[in-house]
Amino acid sequence: MNSAVRRGWRMAGAVLAMSCAVSLAAWAGGSGFGDDDDNGEEEGPSYFGFVRDTNGTTVPDAKVTVAVKNRGGIVTRTDLLGTYKVPGFGKEVDPKDVEVSCDKPGYKQLRVVRRSTPSTDPKIPIETECTLQRI
Amino acid sequence: MRGRAIAGTLVAAVTAFAVLAALSGRTAAESPFGDPNAEPAPFNPQMAALMSMLIQPRHAKLGLAGSAENWPLAAYMLKELRQGFAVVSKAVPRWKGLPVPDLVDAAVSQPLTLLDFAIKLRYRRQFDEAYAGLTSGCNACHATTDHAFVVIKVPDASAFPNQEFAPKQ
Repeated sequence: MNSAVRRGWRMAGAVLAMSCAVSLAAWAGGSGFGDDDDNGEEEGPSYFGFVRDTNGTTVPDAKVTVAVKNRGGIVTRTDLLGTYKVPGFGKEVDPKDVEVSCDKPGYKQLRVVRRSTPSTDPKIPIETECTLQRI
Repeated sequence: MRGRAIAGTLVAAVTAFAVLAALSGRTAAESPFGDPNAEPAPFNPQMAALMSMLIQPRHAKLGLAGSAENWPLAAYMLKELRQGFAVVSKAVPRWKGLPVPDLVDAAVSQPLTLLDFAIKLRYRRQFDEAYAGLTSGCNACHATTDHAFVVIKVPDASAFPNQEFAPKQ
């Protein structure tokens, strides 16, 4: 076999290997890239809720602390709709160890109620409603 | 020369194989938008489509009716808008994990009630204030759901050239 024939076989082999790799990826249903923002594997559930007054009216700009027992927490504020959102902690954090509290000048915290959802979808946040009472 | 011919033939064959493999999931009759011979699927519009179909035009028509002081039409559009919110809340009870009925309630319940009073009283100033509150509620909800770039405003022109908004004489 002369060198031109050998070079031809080598080229063909390389093309065959590359094509098989592309075809297998196509058969598998994609090129193997996942959603950029899908980090649900690494994180636990996120935390969401409303802060309301005793009339049920939502309270914007209330301070909300979402704390992990003995480990500190995150402080945020409610938006114009009276809601807060905190992204998930690490998967090692048990949601039972996460406590929510709320505060606003002129109010005191009356109660905190965690809502139970029948779904086990990890994309559904843990909802906790905090009620403030005027002082 | 013979080597090049072999390589050329193999490259062509392998390329054809790869293209066929990549397209193997699609039948000859199927386009990227679906199979024309399939059974009709139930229409299941999601949040963006529902907002564009049921909420945004009704919000606009309510504003146009109120500013024309066409109170019967405003009352009708208010009822339609309320029903639109109810349909959206039932069709998509959770969106990106968030509770849609609760968000809708927090965003628009109060201004909708105030609009109802204003329409019944035929009181333009209260209507304008409540309508501004409703519009702010829409935008607050968009912000909560990370869609602050969808900004709703009081309509400054009609998008419905085939509808009269002035009261019928």
